[in-house]
Amino acid sequence: MTASIPGGLPGSATGAGSARSSQEPGPADPARPAGLEHTIARLLTTGTYASIALLVVGVVLMVVNGIGPLSGGPAFDLGRLGPDLVALRPAGFLWLGLLAVVATPTARVAASLVGYARRGERAMTLVAALILFVIAASVALAQALEG
Amino acid sequence: MIEGALLLAGGVGAGLFGSLLGLGGGILIVPLLTLAFGLPLLTAVGISLICVIVNSSAAAGVFLERRVANLRLGMTLELFTACGALVGGLVAFLLPERLLEGLFTVLLVYVAITMARRRETPSPPPPAAAPPTEDPPGASVDDRDPGTELGGHAFIAQLSGPGYRVRRLGLGIVGSVFAGVASALLGIGGGLIKVPVMHVIMGVPLRVATATSNLMIGITASASAIIYLLRGGIDPYAAAPTAIGVFIGASIGSRIASRIDLRLLRGLFVAILLYTAWQMLQRAIA
Repeated sequence: MTASIPGGLPGSATGAGSARSSQEPGPADPARPAGLEHTIARLLTTGTYASIALLVVGVVLMVVNGIGPLSGGPAFDLGRLGPDLVALRPAGFLWLGLLAVVATPTARVAASLVGYARRGERAMTLVAALILFVIAASVALAQALEG
Repeated sequence: MIEGALLLAGGVGAGLFGSLLGLGGGILIVPLLTLAFGLPLLTAVGISLICVIVNSSAAAGVFLERRVANLRLGMTLELFTACGALVGGLVAFLLPERLLEGLFTVLLVYVAITMARRRETPSPPPPAAAPPTEDPPGASVDDRDPGTELGGHAFIAQLSGPGYRVRRLGLGIVGSVFAGVASALLGIGGGLIKVPVMHVIMGVPLRVATATSNLMIGITASASAIIYLLRGGIDPYAAAPTAIGVFIGASIGSRIASRIDLRLLRGLFVAILLYTAWQMLQRAIA
């Protein structure tokens, strides 16, 4: 089996963007509306850059405040997020950035749900709803185990 | 300050290597954080999941824009990778760290062997040489679609793309659950499992399988990252410079990939993986 090990950004050695060939078909279908894919792509890109920007601000604040990266950061506390952001504490920006990282794919699924529902694709709408249910179950179970 | 720069540099290296060799980066980040920076394995896995999501979101946006990734297939399978990741994320906190280190050692050796055996493929094989992507002539939908039991012809047709038809959806679902568990336990994207499952078993073209797997990694890793995040398994101070580094490294890698001699790089990478596996094994049995 010579299937490549996946991952990496498009354009990488084995990334899908590296060797577009007319011999190997892709899913692009001119008859299929591209609006949803375009919207989701924009959402993912924007979410990634926003996350990285927040993390960069947090790291800059760490440096300014003389905080080492291996000094042990505070655990996540939703109640402290707002005050930390207002007080320009690094933890606020770092946690907001990390939340944005985790939330970006979920937002992609939520956008897909709306898009498929509008198109009347019931099966895919159901799939998207079930994915969101699993994500919600992750949150609920983790909170229950911590509590 | 120096530690932050080293974490950033380590992240850049992991992202660069991962991007050049077609990896998500998780396979390098976990050993880097545990062996070089002394972080507990669970913390390293949590941080790795964050890095993997960043990489996936950035790449998936481009793949979707180019219409390479199959959104319908990806969403259908990621429902099951997310279920696996949910279970794996919960189990990870119950397993002894040494067992996880042992599992990671096995993973490192597997990737090293896969890398060492990989042949240069400057261009994809012609359709005649790639039977998994083609249905046998004359095959009926019922012959080739166990997935009809799972949702019917229309749904299978929706998941397929031009030039290929998705097969064996049931096996794909099983593989996806397994990939989700592995992702949550080891902090990897799980593409090591998903791409072969989609390409070899389900008949999805390699290029589409790779892009679709990348799309799926975001939700797969998110389902378990949420558990790590809420249960104190993610250290924001260590996670941020590493994630930024991985993002920078992967961005650079995607731009210079065509100018790098990958054979030399691959040999070096196999050596690094085997050395890391040895270090991880010693840690596991110490």
